[in-house]
Amino acid sequence: MTTPLVRMQGIHKAFGDVIALQDVHFELMPGEIHGLLGGNGAGKTTLMNILYGLYAADAGDIFVRGQKVTIHSPRDALSHGIGMVHQHFLQVTPFTVAENILLGTLPKLGSTGHLGEATARIRELAHHFGLDVEPDARVEELPVGVRQRVEILKALYRGVKVLILDEPTTNLTPQEVDALFQSLRAMVDEGVSVVFITHKIREVMAVCDRVTVLRDGQNVFTVPKSEAKEEDLVRGMVGEQLDIAHSFLFAGRAANEDAHTFGDVMIDVRDLKVHADNETLAVRGCTFDVRAGEVFGIAGVAGNGQRELVEALMGIRPVAGGKVTLNGMEVKGGETTSLLAQGVAYIPEDRLEDGFLPLASVAHNLILGYHRQPPYARGWLLEWKVIFQEAWRLIKEYKIRTTGPDDLAANLSGGNIQRLMLARAFAHPMRILIAHNPTRGLDIPSTEFVYHKVMEQRNNGTAVLLVSEDLDELLLLSDRIGVLYRGEMVGILEREQFDKYRIGQMMAGTYKKQPTD
Amino acid sequence: MSVATISQSRLPRWLNAVGPYVVAVVVSFAAAGVFIGLMGFNVLRAYETILFTSFRTPNGFIQTLLKFVPLTLQALAFTVPLAAGKFNIGGEGQLIVGGIAAAAVGIVFAGLPGILLLPLVLLASVVAGAIWAGIPGWLLYRFRISEILTTVLLNFVSFQLVNYVAVEIWPDPAAGHPTTVPIGMGGVLPLLIRRPPLHVGFFLAIVVAGLVYFYLTRTVTGYELVATGANPRAAHVYGIDVRKLSVLSLVIGGMLGGLSGGIEVAGLHHRLIEGFQSNYLTLGILTGLIAKGNSAAVPFVAFFLAVLEVGASALQRTMMIPGEMVIIVEALIVLFVLLSDVVRR
Ligand SMILES: Nc1ncnc2c1ncn2[C@@H]1O[C@H](COP(=O)(O)OP(=O)(O)O)[C@@H](O)[C@H]1O
Ligand SMILES: [Mg+2]
Repeated sequence: MTTPLVRMQGIHKAFGDVIALQDVHFELMPGEIHGLLGGNGAGKTTLMNILYGLYAADAGDIFVRGQKVTIHSPRDALSHGIGMVHQHFLQVTPFTVAENILLGTLPKLGSTGHLGEATARIRELAHHFGLDVEPDARVEELPVGVRQRVEILKALYRGVKVLILDEPTTNLTPQEVDALFQSLRAMVDEGVSVVFITHKIREVMAVCDRVTVLRDGQNVFTVPKSEAKEEDLVRGMVGEQLDIAHSFLFAGRAANEDAHTFGDVMIDVRDLKVHADNETLAVRGCTFDVRAGEVFGIAGVAGNGQRELVEALMGIRPVAGGKVTLNGMEVKGGETTSLLAQGVAYIPEDRLEDGFLPLASVAHNLILGYHRQPPYARGWLLEWKVIFQEAWRLIKEYKIRTTGPDDLAANLSGGNIQRLMLARAFAHPMRILIAHNPTRGLDIPSTEFVYHKVMEQRNNGTAVLLVSEDLDELLLLSDRIGVLYRGEMVGILEREQFDKYRIGQMMAGTYKKQPTD
Repeated sequence: MSVATISQSRLPRWLNAVGPYVVAVVVSFAAAGVFIGLMGFNVLRAYETILFTSFRTPNGFIQTLLKFVPLTLQALAFTVPLAAGKFNIGGEGQLIVGGIAAAAVGIVFAGLPGILLLPLVLLASVVAGAIWAGIPGWLLYRFRISEILTTVLLNFVSFQLVNYVAVEIWPDPAAGHPTTVPIGMGGVLPLLIRRPPLHVGFFLAIVVAGLVYFYLTRTVTGYELVATGANPRAAHVYGIDVRKLSVLSLVIGGMLGGLSGGIEVAGLHHRLIEGFQSNYLTLGILTGLIAKGNSAAVPFVAFFLAVLEVGASALQRTMMIPGEMVIIVEALIVLFVLLSDVVRR
């Protein structure tokens, strides 16, 4: 048997009271793509951050080529040939691709004499591995998918033999995902081994040679792909608590849909224009509508105007042009409170920034936005008795882990904060639901919960606008999908027309409208 | 749920809240004791003086209650804007203009009966304080100029103002110090106790503290004010006019600061005396900080600091220990209370 390239053994790691990893084993063989599969919070990132020297393990050993090593920093990791591309990487955006790649490798500050030579080498690497990047391009002008290639090239340029990719397909179009998988194969052929972190079973099946499943910071199993059955992987990820047969994530949307009909137009957006914070136009003429009983999905790579679009619809950001009508009421900016009162529910994208009061109580948080209307308020006074009763009900129904309504909200964990956001949004009768990335960062049961809630609303006749970076989520839940590219709605597809690759082209801005469309 | 939150929640709530204070007070006193000892004084006697002067004589107790009034109001003038995330460092200026307005009304309408004049005097102080804090509020709303800067700067303006009024407009030449003539008898706060004299300002302060607490916890705008302080961005997203509430919080702070000045004039001095603001701004902010911005805790902390202050002057009088020692103790308490939060994280 060959010695593993990397072996991690008995790894423990706790953050304060949260145990992130418990006696975890992991092995990477030379020349394999090893999937590290698990739901959010399973400990995947933490495990690999330990290998990359960002965190120190509380206990456990790391062996590289059979030799026990201690890795204190990414520099140490690099010296052992280990490189990592994080989910949120940091780049010097005014610099060129080549400069970013060379950053930190140059012997002296300002010694750019070898830049020409290096550029040639980068071009060669990029070509060789099919990582299409122009070394002289400035990073700030590149889309997310290309920036990620820059990060991979950075690692390859440093000659890593172990490349760790943390959820690399987030924010890639399906085409880019395919291209990435091909590049990974090319790397393996050159003797690089890859750790591929993901929470998507399909990706594991598509590209990995072996897979290790983590759940709640513990090993579930490791199997070669040839022996991995999707069903086992699902079970491995979620454990016994999830009813897989009735799961949206794994069983899809129920088929008997014949009876479902759409109602009146509830959200009507005509040629909408919205400014970004820097006064440039982020939404540049969008037209679409959402009917009662319909989930209208908005796809797009993050940063193509989604945030501004949603905020304009909710009255948070002024409408710069065009016309928005929600539930028959025209929205121009500043109507948020009356929208909420009329049954427009909102799940903001950035829950910590946009929806959460850390320094107030859980009860304070649960009534935010609804605090001026009955039953929470009567006239200018708050009805705390009613608020507390409601708060207790929501805490139980949404399984928010807290000591009670008067607990300081800052004590809640990330998943519980999202449950609080959901409880607030779903606590009131609604006619319209506007949800932006409602499952980001949620574990599988919570994601499932959100899907059930969203579909329940849709089936009861709510008009749902679902903006998401997760294309699979959109394909699963939406009745129609509109694709946003540079602030324009480049296409709207009916469910029968859903085609991942076509949507991918639209997301990348490379889709040419056919005359027949 | 984390282990720590479970074990913490098993402790009675009050103990959880009060515990750090007890520790902070004990440690601060110990630290001060070391200094006092090194300076060659009797440490135990110093402690006794600081803590018990307020309770040994009726006079000491009344002195304490009289200090409690401006301390409480000044602290609330700091904590109410703080609840909205704004820093009102202008309580001193608001106190001074409140006092000026109270004196002006009390002198100009000196002939009015008490039933008219007293409410007018207090109202004038509240309005003046509101205006004095409204200026920074407006600058913040209109031009986004930091209220920290503007409230402090207005303190200095008010120093000139008090001088002008006491020297140029209604000077009392017999006083030998910039002082106005007395206000009309109708403008004077009635006494609760005649000897030693205690005016009703004490009750007034407690009632006002209760109103502030009611406002912040029970009313819709109070909720919006707290939400603004907790996360202005989220408050804005959910339809709260954050900028208006920031201004409102400063104006309320100004009203409280102004009232503290009005009560000093109408209750204690019966005239405007230059320097009557004492060090109430510093003490008010210290009170607010020790209370961790919690308006409900302010009266209790204020009473404690009033005890220390009365003890401090006795310390200076009877033992010749510099009264500043007590300010050091108070500052240490703030430090340890704030530190206990960091440690518990
Ligand atoms: N820096 C950190 N501080 C505190 N807790 C953390 C930190 N990083 C991760 N955790 C916690 O450790 C657990 C595992 O997280 P992570 O490794 O990011 O999971 P995954 O990458 O599988 O989604 C989670 O409960 C997470 O909240
Ligand atoms: Mg992760």
